Amino acid sequence: MTMTMTDNILQVKNLSVEFKTFTGNVKAVRDVSFDLARGETLAIVGESGSGKSVTSKAIMGILQQNATISQGKISYSDMDLTKISQKQFSNIRGSRMAMVFQDPLSALNPVMKIGKQITESLVLSGKISKKDAPEKAMELMRAVAIPEPEKRYNQYPFQFSGGMRQRIVIACALAGDPELLICDEPTTALDVSVQSQILELIKDLQKERNLSVIFITHDMGVVAGIANRMAVMYAGKIVEIGNVDEVFYNPQHPYTWNLLAAMPDMDTGSDEKLLSIPGTPPNMLHPPVGDAFAARNKFALNIDNRLEPPMFKISDTHYAATWLLHPDAPKVEMPEVLQKRLERQKAKGVDGFGK
Amino acid sequence: MLKYVLQRVLFMLVALFLVSLFTFFLINSVPGGPFENPAIRPEVRLAMERRFHLDQPLIVQFGHFLRGIVTFDFGISLIVQPSRDITDILMERFPITIVLNLLSNFILVPVGFFLGSLAALKRNRFGDHAISALVVVFISVPGFVLASLMQYFLAFRLGWFPLVFSTSQNWDWDRFYSMILPVLALSFGGIAFITRFLRGELTETLNSDYMLLAKTKGLRTGQAIFRHALRNSLIPVMGMLVGIFVGILGGSIVVEEIFAIPGMGRIMINALLSHDYPLVMTTTVMYTAIALVARLLIDLSYSIVDPRVVVGGGKSAS
Amino acid sequence: MHHNNNAELIKNYTFTEDDFKFHEKSDVIADVAPENPPVGFFKDAMIRFSKNKASMVALFMLVFIIVMAIFGPMMGDFHFREQNVQWDRLPPRIPFLENLGIFDGTSTVTVQVANMPNWEHVYIETVRTFYQTAGARTVAMAEIRIDAYANVGAEDIYFWFGSDMLGRDLWTRLWRGARVSLMMAAIAVLINLTIGVIYGAVAAYYGKKTDLIMLNIMEIFSAVPTLIVVILIATRLGTSMWSLIGALTFSGWIGMANMMRAQFYRHKGQEYVMAARIMGASDKRLIFRYILPNAIGPTITQVAVAIPVFMMTEAFLSYLGLGIQAPEPSVGVLLSQGQEMLLTNPHAVFFPALVISLLMLSFQMMSNGLRDAFDPTLRGH
Repeated sequence: MTMTMTDNILQVKNLSVEFKTFTGNVKAVRDVSFDLARGETLAIVGESGSGKSVTSKAIMGILQQNATISQGKISYSDMDLTKISQKQFSNIRGSRMAMVFQDPLSALNPVMKIGKQITESLVLSGKISKKDAPEKAMELMRAVAIPEPEKRYNQYPFQFSGGMRQRIVIACALAGDPELLICDEPTTALDVSVQSQILELIKDLQKERNLSVIFITHDMGVVAGIANRMAVMYAGKIVEIGNVDEVFYNPQHPYTWNLLAAMPDMDTGSDEKLLSIPGTPPNMLHPPVGDAFAARNKFALNIDNRLEPPMFKISDTHYAATWLLHPDAPKVEMPEVLQKRLERQKAKGVDGFGK
Repeated sequence: MLKYVLQRVLFMLVALFLVSLFTFFLINSVPGGPFENPAIRPEVRLAMERRFHLDQPLIVQFGHFLRGIVTFDFGISLIVQPSRDITDILMERFPITIVLNLLSNFILVPVGFFLGSLAALKRNRFGDHAISALVVVFISVPGFVLASLMQYFLAFRLGWFPLVFSTSQNWDWDRFYSMILPVLALSFGGIAFITRFLRGELTETLNSDYMLLAKTKGLRTGQAIFRHALRNSLIPVMGMLVGIFVGILGGSIVVEEIFAIPGMGRIMINALLSHDYPLVMTTTVMYTAIALVARLLIDLSYSIVDPRVVVGGGKSAS
Repeated sequence: MHHNNNAELIKNYTFTEDDFKFHEKSDVIADVAPENPPVGFFKDAMIRFSKNKASMVALFMLVFIIVMAIFGPMMGDFHFREQNVQWDRLPPRIPFLENLGIFDGTSTVTVQVANMPNWEHVYIETVRTFYQTAGARTVAMAEIRIDAYANVGAEDIYFWFGSDMLGRDLWTRLWRGARVSLMMAAIAVLINLTIGVIYGAVAAYYGKKTDLIMLNIMEIFSAVPTLIVVILIATRLGTSMWSLIGALTFSGWIGMANMMRAQFYRHKGQEYVMAARIMGASDKRLIFRYILPNAIGPTITQVAVAIPVFMMTEAFLSYLGLGIQAPEPSVGVLLSQGQEMLLTNPHAVFFPALVISLLMLSFQMMSNGLRDAFDPTLRGH
């Protein structure tokens, strides 16, 4: 990649995560590698069960009890997060990295006052005194645009609307002034009208504070507006990664084609069909040999059932894992529907996607 | 808040009235009377019945009883401890029963909390399985059977504890020492219930998103568990405590029998069997009142601990 | 930059022309149809229940006890009322097992060493000797094991679980008692279930004022000290099976009604009920055909635990001398009678305690299995 190592605040290398279940080990994340530069927003896109949330939880060190990191490294400022103790981890969490969850209602303690929840970790770690806590909480509440923080400070989560709750969760995350923010589907549980407000808020905060953000979503439409780079995950693997406009305008993996074609936009005409992806993702108890997407891939080659494809380089920043990029592979064009749409979009710019 | 409390107290009084009315007519519908005894000559019987208003219509008798309750003059016992002031009897007997109950609660609440949290934190590991097995035993074996077994093995065979309640008249060490087995016997059921319930609640809260948020905010695991999971799981457990308290009040009757403890148990049974009306009515009202007050206290404390509970906010919203 | 674990594999792989041909799919890719035929809710619940080992063990245990409760009394040589006062308080003795040193009909007695010759005809062994000081005299004492059956001239008699203070056979009485207790508890629970389900359903379905009034009635009922009522009913109606059932149901239905009410509240606002209402379903139909089947799961689970709890309450009454009328035994009556001779004949408590504990345990385990089986979120697992 073009960026030098020193710019990266986070580097994930060959990460694999398995879940022990009664029926066997579920391979939720398989050999995932990416890095994140300072001030950059990386979107991880995929359908549910593709391993995107598990990846983020592994980075935060909050995997479930039955999950183990079977291989790989998560390098974060000279530390390997897969190796450090829970105690060391709790020194990093909150103060250097923080997380925003999908459902703000269940993410807030229902019986603790909002203000207390925001500054809790600061007070407990002795960063601020109990006396200064209310002022700090209100300052954070102002930062996430909660009206009347003086009044709201003493209220409980159930007295807030969904969007407001998510703002509170964001305020909790920002309290320790972290440099890395992981957003795990932060808008999925919210009303459509509120979603864009929260996205704007995250975007603004990212700029103001020069945050590095990992933004997890299943919604391609959200990605274009918020991220610099994106990774597409399928069956626990990254199948395509690159700058947002590279992936959007020059997608190489058939799965990415499918995702893009399945996304409606303003100009989708009545004669134009949205593509759905046939079939279901493979059972990750026993991942198939070769390319996990082969069974659903219209363009599957024989080798897809024999050998897992490596990451093929398309540009310095753009990689995809499909045998179609092998020099010996037959040339395949992306679906016509998608091609038409891409041309239309190019005229408008990336932000036109999904709007 | 005040209005709600007043409402509840009013309801309590109505409930108390209805329960006494019901008990009064039920006890009077049982054939026989306190002085129907061949050893008592008919003219003495009539005189006694006149003295205690037993010759008057039931409704008038009930009026007498109500007046007594309201003025805290509970009258005298007719048969069980003849001519003795009921207040006196209660003052002598009730403290023993209540101390038995409170001591059990002092044991079962912390032990139940400890075992329940331990099981949840060590879920599906050895500690959890061992605790679950213990809970199954405590729930499956009736308390009085455990009491008998403990009496047989720990007191009779091993001689570690006195067989029966100490005859000491004071609250001295002997008395407490002889209370250990009965208190344990009364605690097992409660320990099992709290452990099982808390384990379930805590497992749920430990897996909640707000625990994750607490962790990602930078709280240490211990801090997160204590400040978020434990506190939140205790709220539903609180509601169980009334049930356990009232349950032990009833259950202690048998345990008192086994260990020959001079508490309320024998008195109540004898009063019921011998038609000692004033004594039955007084104990009924007292036990009902205790249950109602405990219920109210728990409901009120809910509204303090859990902000989502708006006191007086209508019961049908659930 | 992007490492792959199979880099080695790829390096060593020799690509062929065939590799880069399109894969010929034998069939069209489509959303896979469910592999199994559709399974109804109850059938699914039963399948999951039968897969749960613990609940199957519990079920087996339960069936065993029920079978014994039916046939056990006929297996011994005695009738449950038959008194042989000369053979009272005998320890358990079972043919064949007696040769193994258990259930051999022996008991230990403490005698003065001087008197030991009197016991010679039944003497087996001396457990220990010791001195006892009574007043000024110190006496040599011995704990000896004797053949209790020979002692009362019952060499040919076998009381499998021993005999009680009236010389009645405890094996026969225990299974007879289990039968009575189980029947009583089952009938009481059925009555409670019926009242509780209907009461809770009606209160929750109509809501508002109706609910408030019905809830208050329930609270008054539950404020009545159960024990006092139970004792009064037992003294008023005598201690027949039916009066005991009456006592057990007086406030027993409240728990079920509460549970049903809470479940009903959860379901009545759901869309399927709304849809049915819009299509013109009557109240009765909505309650019984739509909501009830969906809401009854947790209550059913409760039933399994309620049965042994009632057996315990019944045992509790027996302890107070309010058990079922003699000579009819129940597990509770046996427990309370055994308690009287606990110090000399602990077996009299042990066997009934074992039965009631096993029943409680198996009902508990079954209830857990049922709960998981009826949990809609666990379907298909």
